[in-house]
Amino acid sequence: MAKMGMVFDLKACIGCNACVIACKQENSLPDGVFFTKTLSEEYGVFPLANRVYIPTICNHCEDAPCEKVCPSGATYTRADGIVMVDDDKCIGCSSCAVACPYDQRTQMDAENFLKGLFGTGEITPFEEQGYGRYTPGTVTKCDFCSQRVDVGLDPACVVTCPTNARIFGDLDDPHSAPSKMIRERHGRPPMPEKNTKPKVFYVN
Amino acid sequence: MSIENKVFSGDTLRVGYRFQRHWDNSMAYAFFCAELGAGLYFVSLLLNSIVGMALGLLLVSTGKPYFHLAHMGVPTKSWRAMLRPDRSWISRGVWLLAGLIGAGFLYLAASLFGDSLGLEANSAVLWLLKIAAAACALGVMTYQGFAMSHSSAIAIWNSAIMPMASLLYSLAVGLAVARALVPPAQASGLTDTLLLLLLGLAVMHLMFLHSGWHGGPGARTSVELLLQSVYAKWFWGLVVAVGIVLPGLALSAVPASALAGAVSAVAVLAGFMAWRILIFKIGVFEPIMRMNPFHTAG
Amino acid sequence: MATSDTKKQPTANSLKSGRWVASSCKMCLHSCGNLIHVTDDGVINKIEGNPTNPSNNGKLCPKGNSAIMRHYDPARFKQPMRRTNPEKGCGIDPKWEPISWEEAFDISAREIKKSLDEDPRKILPSLEDFQKFNIWAWPLAFGNFNFYQSGGTMCGGAYHPMNGFIHSAFGCANDAKYCNYWINNGTGDGFSSHLHAAAQSNWVAKARTERNMRVVSIEPRLSIGSAKAEEWVPIRPATDRHFAMGMSHVMIEEGLCDYKFLKRDTNAPYLVGEDGLFIRDENRQCYIWDAKNNCAKLWNDESIGKIALEGSYELNGKPCKPAFQKYKDILAECTPEAMSEITTVPAETIRRIAREFAKAAQVGATMKLEDGRTVPFRPVGYNYYRGAQGHKHGAQTNQAFKLVNMLMGNIDAPGGHMGVVLDTKEVDINHCAPGESGMLAPTPHQLGPTPPFAYPPNTYHLMDYFPLGVNPPHFNLLVHEDPAKFGMEFTPDVIVNCHSNPVWAIQGPREKWFDFLRSMRFIVCVDLIPTEMTDWADIILPSNDVLESWNCTMIEPPHTEGQSFRQPAVPPLHDTKSEEEIFYELSERMGILEAYNDVINKTLGFEGHPELMLELDKKYTDKEIARRKGLLWNGKDIDWYMERGHSVTEKRLDKWYRPWEGMRLHFYIEDFLIERDKLKKNMEEANVPFRHEWEWDDYQPLPTPVLDPVHEEPPEYDLYAITFKDIQLNFGESLSNPWIKDIVYRDPVHTGLLLNPKTAAAQGLEKGSIVLVESPYGHVYGRIGISEGMHPETLGISNSLSRMKSKDSGVLPAGGHFNDMLPHDLRNTDAASGQPETVCKVKLTRLDDWPAFLKEGRTVYDQIADYEQAKGKGGQH
Repeated sequence: MAKMGMVFDLKACIGCNACVIACKQENSLPDGVFFTKTLSEEYGVFPLANRVYIPTICNHCEDAPCEKVCPSGATYTRADGIVMVDDDKCIGCSSCAVACPYDQRTQMDAENFLKGLFGTGEITPFEEQGYGRYTPGTVTKCDFCSQRVDVGLDPACVVTCPTNARIFGDLDDPHSAPSKMIRERHGRPPMPEKNTKPKVFYVN
Repeated sequence: MSIENKVFSGDTLRVGYRFQRHWDNSMAYAFFCAELGAGLYFVSLLLNSIVGMALGLLLVSTGKPYFHLAHMGVPTKSWRAMLRPDRSWISRGVWLLAGLIGAGFLYLAASLFGDSLGLEANSAVLWLLKIAAAACALGVMTYQGFAMSHSSAIAIWNSAIMPMASLLYSLAVGLAVARALVPPAQASGLTDTLLLLLLGLAVMHLMFLHSGWHGGPGARTSVELLLQSVYAKWFWGLVVAVGIVLPGLALSAVPASALAGAVSAVAVLAGFMAWRILIFKIGVFEPIMRMNPFHTAG
Repeated sequence: MATSDTKKQPTANSLKSGRWVASSCKMCLHSCGNLIHVTDDGVINKIEGNPTNPSNNGKLCPKGNSAIMRHYDPARFKQPMRRTNPEKGCGIDPKWEPISWEEAFDISAREIKKSLDEDPRKILPSLEDFQKFNIWAWPLAFGNFNFYQSGGTMCGGAYHPMNGFIHSAFGCANDAKYCNYWINNGTGDGFSSHLHAAAQSNWVAKARTERNMRVVSIEPRLSIGSAKAEEWVPIRPATDRHFAMGMSHVMIEEGLCDYKFLKRDTNAPYLVGEDGLFIRDENRQCYIWDAKNNCAKLWNDESIGKIALEGSYELNGKPCKPAFQKYKDILAECTPEAMSEITTVPAETIRRIAREFAKAAQVGATMKLEDGRTVPFRPVGYNYYRGAQGHKHGAQTNQAFKLVNMLMGNIDAPGGHMGVVLDTKEVDINHCAPGESGMLAPTPHQLGPTPPFAYPPNTYHLMDYFPLGVNPPHFNLLVHEDPAKFGMEFTPDVIVNCHSNPVWAIQGPREKWFDFLRSMRFIVCVDLIPTEMTDWADIILPSNDVLESWNCTMIEPPHTEGQSFRQPAVPPLHDTKSEEEIFYELSERMGILEAYNDVINKTLGFEGHPELMLELDKKYTDKEIARRKGLLWNGKDIDWYMERGHSVTEKRLDKWYRPWEGMRLHFYIEDFLIERDKLKKNMEEANVPFRHEWEWDDYQPLPTPVLDPVHEEPPEYDLYAITFKDIQLNFGESLSNPWIKDIVYRDPVHTGLLLNPKTAAAQGLEKGSIVLVESPYGHVYGRIGISEGMHPETLGISNSLSRMKSKDSGVLPAGGHFNDMLPHDLRNTDAASGQPETVCKVKLTRLDDWPAFLKEGRTVYDQIADYEQAKGKGGQH
């Protein structure tokens, strides 16, 4: 059985957020909603100051707290390990949102759809063709572009990343690119102390 | 490091703490209604206070669902919340609430009209109903605490103090209100218990602050928010002074005064409400930076 | 919203039923290959990189990912329009009235022609479509050399001519394929900006992760590139030349150079007389000193025993030195210690980086190429761009950087510092031609012909006096302030504007520029969306956007060659036209159609290809022009291109590595002196009144450590101010795009005027302080942000904080414009290149509150506050 996961190469990532926009494109996200974000933070003191760029995304945890707390059964894990939300079942209680240590859950706000990406109330044809996939009030998140994965494609953020800082594949396959990278470059999951067994790893 | 030096990144692309905001005030009111209602019902059950039980049930069956549904993203599908009692405290809560409302109402009805239905005062049915209602009430009094403590996301919630706080507050507000509803003679007998509960709350808060302060960065930040930010005045003023100290003093000074009893009940409720709101407000997600094992500052 | 019906269909946009169109991007001036997904309903719902394009390898930058939001922008101009409000200004509603194309053409052509008939010089073109040189070159059809656009000096005024001198190319880059030690000086190349951002960052990331290429970044601000570099070297602004000369000093003093390269492949050994000119024989051939036979010999004399690079000699009784020795003499005072005083970079750092760089260069190593040639292998490169080169002494500065490379022998060598041609058709017309005395013919005019000397001037921006430079558009303002001083015989009164926002992009105080614009009788703008500039237009001629139009071009691609093909993914959404249709129509109505076709034939290289030549009396579509450009490149017709979207391949080795093989490169640029003297003579003869003010010292054959005048501003201006962009803001318009806005103003570096915390404390400022920033030339308002990633003497102002109000545009004003604080005078402009100074000295004054004009309406800072305190989204409750 496959176990789809992602590796972020912190050495490669330049914080350009092309991934963020590719995601917005692919998933018709309304304004202010992000399924992935690349954060930055400065550290150190001049002249030894530096800045890190840290991509973040749903970690598709094996021990997903969001799934455990979901009272309606909307959150579930596919056979290939992708953690999904069935928005037909989601009641919008936000239990998952407070259970995710990575703050990767977003409740879809009906007003956001009406406001439109330009904030003028005019809904572009792009939005019109895309917003139908969402049910206002439900709580959503990244699904690793599961439909793309189903047809053998990488997630949209991975495909566009100019520096190949996102590597996607089957963590159960020891020969997959992410597995090799985790092994060779000592990949670490985010916040391991939260005991969620993320399927996303960081290497430097 | 104090609160001024911490980064709260808001909705920016900066690494930092992010406020818990998914559970809002509406959810706090729902928690308030559930715990007050269940606590009041539970205490009234023990005291055989019909008025108390009725009031408790009313809160549980109206205020709680109203505010909870107001919080729901898709209220029309909310019935689905009952589907996963095997793993979700929210689901369990739905069943416990249903149980409390069902058993509680039946017991109340039986208590009121049992005679005309031919039920004996100590019949097994009544006892069963009473035990079921009490158990469900205890469940409702604590499950919200368990729902909060269950996940590691919000560090300050991820503690056994959460269900303990729920239970203590449920009992305290339940007793404070019930005490104001029962005849004076009965009420004065409850003063010591209430004072004891207030003391328990004080101890609980001390434990809460202590464990949070010495806990991980998220828990520490939440306690700092409580003690150092705009929330400090609400915590000290409402939760501690009005919610615990004032009723404690009033009940110690004039234990027999009905007015003191009423004032104390209102004060404890105000403190509880403030606590319910604040505990949501101070919840924070920890910055992802902590996970960057490669970063050595400076 | 979601029904079970829609659920069965894919909801991911790229998987919906539809078709993919292979095209290319134009969200910046470059041209990455992309794939555009159009649904069965004709909606564009996804754009991805084209993985068959070896330049961007299927990758797109954030801007490339955002083209859909440009396409569907509700504020797009939907039909031709005429202004009804006589009052003009940024943010003032022009009160547009829709008109027909016929009427719009009629009015525009009539108004332009009025000036054309009176004096063609009265037309001021502002044509910034860098992917369509057939539009860019339009003014040549009526002999007009005016220039009111930022391209040129605001990107690389001194940079492009210098690349023309050294590589005979337009741009330059390091060879990411083999480079092991990569210096970036004031550039984001490979990380955030410069050439083909997505492509170059892809190549550089591979070099860094797969080969552990070392990156050293020298600049006053910790940019993305500096953050990713192995080493960030903070430097005082406008002292980059001194850093490079300090490195060169070490390399020469310690004998670390590639002497074989200098002797054989450059003019470094050519003997220079005391007048600075090469000593020549009667056939204009140069000499080299033969150290073995102790005599001078002609450069191509095969009997030379040992080529001297150093020493002082006498030839025909005249003292002379090899050019190399001349530079060594200059560098004598450029010790790392002395340069450290100027740059604030520790001397030891300069010395260490020079040694590391030289060591990594592997001088002596060679590589056998697949084409059979064995060439020097030099896996080091020193690249630089606007931040480092955009200064008063731009020409010298650029040359100083080139010379660091040249000392290492890495020019156009595998792993080294490469010339990058503008439009890759140049590689096939052999951009490297032999010049005199064995030297490569320099091509400083990479953007086409420049006007000859004339007085009174024929151009309003004084291009008549820049024989080696790039158009200085800021001089339009200088002349506007005092036309008589410059002997101006005409006053421009018509602006023809196409995809250009000069009122935003050119330096000098806005208020004065507004006055300049108010002096125009008529302004026509060809554009997609409202900008600061379109608020000044009398007529809007709306154009098709990148997803609705045809084109075939390639703009300065590192590593690759070929053509990026653009085709409409959908028919135009609105009543818009292609730029070609617009300019052909205007040309016909103005009576210059034939001349225009002639210009296009020359500009696009159709001349000499009878089958491609445009017939002079015909009008052509964008599709037809694109078709012919494709045919010109590889003989493939449009169907071939429509299927593939490009003809991009990796550069042919002979066109990439040392395409000038057998010619000598210009270590010493004598042309600066020759052209200076010619200009001086012309000015004397014509009695040009401002010739005494002309900055004659700017023409130098070798870099000198002279300080840029910005360092000599009055002492109360105690900080430097710089501006910067990042990868989301590259090149032109970005912030009207909601997706770009979404990521820019959430990024801390774009949310305040950045100061080092120690500097802020010393100035009595803290994060959030509102300040007035004043330079000797202008001012802006802003809010302080704190960053340890700032050189302590420097205030950093993101370009995203330099916008003005414009009607109907989502772009938010900040507290003014950085460019307001920059000079537009002769003193701060490089006479040798036209490059103006792009940093300034400033002083800060703390204010209690924003000035009144910034309290009206929404500003950038309101947007930022929304994000920082975002209720319900992780901010304060």
